[in-house]
Amino acid sequence: MTKAYKYAIVYFLLFSLLLVISGVMLFEHKIGFSIQGVSEYYLGSEEKFIVAKSSAGVLKIVLPHIFAFALFSMVLLHFLIFTKHRDTAHSKALIYLLFSSAALEIFSPFMIIFGAEFFVFIKIASFVLFESLVIYIAWLLLNSIIKD
Amino acid sequence: MKFTLIKKLSQDKSMRPILTGLLLFTLLYILSDILVKYVNFGVFPDAINVTLFGDEEQYIDPLSTSAFLEFWHVEIFFIMMILLTLSAVFVRVSKDDTSKTILLSALMICALFSLISLVLAFFVAKIFVLIYSILFFIWHAIAVYMILYSLGKLYYDKSI
Repeated sequence: MTKAYKYAIVYFLLFSLLLVISGVMLFEHKIGFSIQGVSEYYLGSEEKFIVAKSSAGVLKIVLPHIFAFALFSMVLLHFLIFTKHRDTAHSKALIYLLFSSAALEIFSPFMIIFGAEFFVFIKIASFVLFESLVIYIAWLLLNSIIKD
Repeated sequence: MKFTLIKKLSQDKSMRPILTGLLLFTLLYILSDILVKYVNFGVFPDAINVTLFGDEEQYIDPLSTSAFLEFWHVEIFFIMMILLTLSAVFVRVSKDDTSKTILLSALMICALFSLISLVLAFFVAKIFVLIYSILFFIWHAIAVYMILYSLGKLYYDKSI
């Protein structure tokens, strides 16, 4: 891989970090990282005058995220092919974990509004797992670029 | 990213028009981005200040934190994907490793810091609006240059 490609990947990783930061800020501001916060955001709260989300409203938010999560995950993960982590059990676990956590993060709001309140916890856990995995994969890639 | 593996792009009858299409659409995106921002958000400091912080005289409300964060989040995603794609084509068609790395770095750093300036402008100090505006124009100009350079290389450089 030429030096310029390595630079391009490093800058992509910095953008990824910024994307994670903006995602966390947005989640914290709009929903909140507490069980109560997530529950109130989707199911509403009379005390706080929060209207419950409808399935159409959730779908409107989910739709662009399905494509964005898939594209971002694919781009980030495919860089692992150019490192020593290619075809290892470790990278396979990362691939399955990243896509699974993304799917849970995207679709858990539907389960919440359809009555499965346990998915409030899943929503927070999958979001934290997805963002942590992105940072971990970015660190693996950065480490490979610097050392290899 | 198959084009990064093709040895002779200039002689490849399929890949050259494909990359031309990609570059032309990227050029359209970059130019449209300036126009759309000019109309909806502002590209000069005064207009951006009004959008972000409102204007009592014109009865314009400030942008809510939630709306700003959504805008910022989407901007980061689009910019990172567009610039990664553009840089992959640019690196493939360019020869000089040092100058292309410098140009690539200038593009990415300006885009990255324009996004950071935007969030600092909203949450920390209004002065960052000016920095955002300057960096916004610089990275768009570099991107346009890289697109035109890549198109030129595709059609006039037989060695790539």
